[in-house]
Amino acid sequence: MSILIGQILQQETDFNVIIQTLFSLAFIIYLVYAQKLQSLQMLNQIEATLRRLKKIRDEARGVTLNTINEVGKPGVDVSNKVDRILEFISIPLTDMDPYGIVDKLDQYLKVNHNIFEAEVKAIAPNASEIERQNLENLVGLTFELNYIYKAMRHNYLMGKKTMNIYIILQVHMILPLIMQLVESLTVGIQATREGIPIGDSVGPIVAGRLMKDYPKRDISKEMVSAEVPFDGRTLIVMKAKGPGGTVGTPDEAIINILNEKEGKVKIIIMIDAAGKMEGEPVGAVSEGVGAAIGGTGKEKFKIEEIATKFKIPVHAIAIKQGQEHVMAPLVEELAEGAEKAGESVKRIIMDYSGPGDTVIVAGIGNTIGVGQ
Amino acid sequence: MKTNSQGGSPPPVTSINASRVNLVIIVIIGILSLASLYLGFKSFTEDQITAYIYILIGALGFAAIGYMLFRGGRPSSQTKQDIPQVDILTTLECPKCNLRRVREFKKGDYIFKNDEACTRCDGNMIISRIHKKKDPEKEKKQNFIE
Ligand SMILES: [Zn+2]
Repeated sequence: MSILIGQILQQETDFNVIIQTLFSLAFIIYLVYAQKLQSLQMLNQIEATLRRLKKIRDEARGVTLNTINEVGKPGVDVSNKVDRILEFISIPLTDMDPYGIVDKLDQYLKVNHNIFEAEVKAIAPNASEIERQNLENLVGLTFELNYIYKAMRHNYLMGKKTMNIYIILQVHMILPLIMQLVESLTVGIQATREGIPIGDSVGPIVAGRLMKDYPKRDISKEMVSAEVPFDGRTLIVMKAKGPGGTVGTPDEAIINILNEKEGKVKIIIMIDAAGKMEGEPVGAVSEGVGAAIGGTGKEKFKIEEIATKFKIPVHAIAIKQGQEHVMAPLVEELAEGAEKAGESVKRIIMDYSGPGDTVIVAGIGNTIGVGQ
Repeated sequence: MKTNSQGGSPPPVTSINASRVNLVIIVIIGILSLASLYLGFKSFTEDQITAYIYILIGALGFAAIGYMLFRGGRPSSQTKQDIPQVDILTTLECPKCNLRRVREFKKGDYIFKNDEACTRCDGNMIISRIHKKKDPEKEKKQNFIE
């Protein structure tokens, strides 16, 4: 037995040397090509994501086209027009000299909005006001998905062209974040198509519940308000005019009311959806101070400006939610959160105002699927 | 269709290249690992230390192959729906007799809408809530570190 093994081992010595040489060679090759291999592997993963992104973009475009044909009844093929909207560019302002930038931004955003509105109106001439607003949201989502796809494709092709690991690495690093963003957009497609309240609608829900039994009037573009008596105080409750998908113009509404009342308002309460940290429960309600409003910052600036002018404290109520909830159909926790926030509003009014005072309550957010 | 000229799918060249490179590497590592294991078992009776080293190298090689396959074969998040469609519930409440009813969401529903007549009294039911139906599968325990 041992003789046999000895014989085999004797023959194996050459084989041994070969194996060892091969191993050394493999090691050296790996040393030289490790980066290249890693780059290829990362590119591969980027490409897989890109394929999925393209599929999502195409499906979103299909849904948009179907919805336009369904509610807008344009009677002709509008796919060319839709593609033109999806490729729409809006050149950002220069902030080299930031003086007056907020007013410029205001004007710029209005022009953007008006053109978008007109374009959607043109492709969906027979849609009702509400349907048209929801359609604007839907086209907006598809626009964003298309933009993300194009940007990622650009980065992917740049990485492939240069085969530079650092360029590829940067794209690869942000892939999970990009997909998170994309998923937070795709959940909005069903909501905007069918007119379902979304996570961002919690502010308008709180305001709508306060004002629903009182006469309303329009106070600025796509904004309604109602005077609500509450324990000797007068609440001026406002929200974007629903149930179409719009955020309205809360800054202009607050400015108009304050000018009308000549600043005789005790406090302003703003209710808005706010991003939660990982680990915080969905639908948690936080109270605080400050102008609770997101977006470009233009509305925030204007509200802070007028509040400072009249020296009115601004209270904030935030209803916490994750990025994945903001555009998704409302979850039960957030519906409950909106009810809790309503209690917070009443408590703040009781604590910080007296009988005879006027209080502004502004529900901030997209009012899709929320009436008043 | 317009979509192709607009987007155009990325050429599949890289994927074939990369997967072919991967395959070649896997095969090479596999052969070397097998040889290493073979040598390890062969020299077990003679020189145990060398044998252990060979066996270790072979095992590591197979572990590397497993890792590569696992990474490549990972289905990622592809199993998720591209454009999710969820069930929505509408809750109606009668302000007069407080009757509550939950039904499927219909297009045209919105919160605070004066909807259908109440089935119990002569009042009109108002939509008080519209929310997503809870997915019983997805309801996992959340472990908060408070
Ligand atoms: Zn009833």
